[in-house]
Amino acid sequence: MSDIDILQVATIIALVVLGAAWYLSYSASRLDRLHAKVEGAVSALDAQLVRRAEASLELATSGAVDPATSLLLADAASEALERHTHQPLSHDPLDGQTFAGREGTETNLTEALRAVLTAETVEELRTDADGPGALSLARVESTALRVQLARRFHNDAVREVRRVRGKAVVRVFRLAGHAALPHPVDFDDDLPPAVVD
Amino acid sequence: MRIGLVCPYAFDVPGGVQFHVRDLAEFFLAEGHEVRVLAPVDDPEADLPAYVTSCGRAVPVRYNGSVARLTFGPVTSSRVSRWLEDGDFDVLHLHEPITPSASLMALWASSEPVVATFHTANLRSRAMHAANPLLRPSTEKIRARIAVSEEARQTVRRHLGGDAYIIPNGVDTSRFTPDGATTRWSGTPERPTLAFLGRIDEPRKGLAVVVAAMPHILDALPGARLVVAGPGEVDEIAAALDPRVRAATEFLGAVSEDDKVALLRSADLYVAPHTGGESFGIVLVEAMAAGAPVLASDLEAFVAVLGDGPAGLTFPVGDSEALARAVIELVRHPGERHRLRDLGLRRARSFDWNVVAQRVMAVYETVIEGADNSPTESLVRGGLLGRLRWPTRGEA
Repeated sequence: MSDIDILQVATIIALVVLGAAWYLSYSASRLDRLHAKVEGAVSALDAQLVRRAEASLELATSGAVDPATSLLLADAASEALERHTHQPLSHDPLDGQTFAGREGTETNLTEALRAVLTAETVEELRTDADGPGALSLARVESTALRVQLARRFHNDAVREVRRVRGKAVVRVFRLAGHAALPHPVDFDDDLPPAVVD
Repeated sequence: MRIGLVCPYAFDVPGGVQFHVRDLAEFFLAEGHEVRVLAPVDDPEADLPAYVTSCGRAVPVRYNGSVARLTFGPVTSSRVSRWLEDGDFDVLHLHEPITPSASLMALWASSEPVVATFHTANLRSRAMHAANPLLRPSTEKIRARIAVSEEARQTVRRHLGGDAYIIPNGVDTSRFTPDGATTRWSGTPERPTLAFLGRIDEPRKGLAVVVAAMPHILDALPGARLVVAGPGEVDEIAAALDPRVRAATEFLGAVSEDDKVALLRSADLYVAPHTGGESFGIVLVEAMAAGAPVLASDLEAFVAVLGDGPAGLTFPVGDSEALARAVIELVRHPGERHRLRDLGLRRARSFDWNVVAQRVMAVYETVIEGADNSPTESLVRGGLLGRLRWPTRGEA
């Protein structure tokens, strides 16, 4: 009698342990996927930011804008590029999630673009549709849009990671390992109103 | 680029989501991309474009408060998996991914980068709350969320958390050219024309609001003419009108597309007095593209379509007196109408498929770049643990 009881109890315990083990490893790999998504998103954002700064610099040196405009834009764009080179995202982006404090520089570039690309300037640049000014402007527009997209997708991914990492089971069993907690990246990336319509 | 689009509703039945998927697919095909569409199909004999694959017959099911034609079950499931395998897509773009149909099944089975577009603005929370823990691991696969309107975006925020990027519906604005010969609806300073479009017996289209404004308008502008284009019981509605308003109103009934364009092009003012239920104002975009100055009720969707300019004037929903004042003001000031017309023509261009699809392409490219830069799982954690993840294709 008691043998069977022990067997039954042992079976139940074994099943519970197996179930718990499965759930833990499932949660861990789900979290890994979410971390991987954030890593991909942050490097996509980084790449778009570099392209935006390059396009802005190109517009500044295209000869199609006046010298004051050119200087303003070149200043903000080269600062963004410099910060990217001197403080790149750490080799393992999971450890570099604070975005290296580049938010301020990128906001500056956004503001410079907005100040410079007034309705009149945009119209003037677009008059010569195949000129260097119009081509650079098109690049600025398309990279600025992609910066917006990449930042939003990154922040959505961050939010998902943080939600899962807030779960009790993840915290108690340290399923996140040594991965740093990712942070949303927040800076002004609004498109200049003149290029929106 | 190899693009896979999934539509949850029967492709051979007309509907907003279906048209959206069709227009997007055809735009990208014309751009030289490889595009395939997976959708349920109602009539197996239906004449479908070559890019469409059927994932099974749609059955009418009550979901989210209305009857939708959806598809599900093991046959659909295996067709979805086969389609994904054959397609070998660079990006998978799912429409309405949390509707229990093909999109949700594709999301479940996918291993490629996923973009999701949310169309609905009135999702019932009951269904979502009940299913949320089940759906979470799947929705976490989505790398980019698009909402077609601010209201759709709010729905995403409420039910899934997080945000969505707004890319509006595209409209084929090329049909709505602003120039052309004068028509029988062209207004003159003595006889200005106001255009109304929409079913006349559907209260939320707001015919009653304009009709109530007409006596005030006629007091100030005795020659004003209201042209009403839209199906419905004309006799019934007309009989109830004040005789003076009746005399100033012309009912066209249902009109052809060409007549619609001609009417919008000729009218001095397009009036959109809708009282609700509009998630996106396609007709406003069409009116702007045809060069009609727009005067619309201040519904959230309409305000969004008119933009920051704004490219049209608004009045409080259902307020006939405010509508009348605005009409009188605008008719008396042709300069203001010209200004609105120019703003409207520019605004309409931003809803053209050309612009909208380029934005969707920017989303695809951003998502693919992110996916390419994600470390592969084996690098993060491999072995036995790595194999016990959520089911992907072939395991499910």
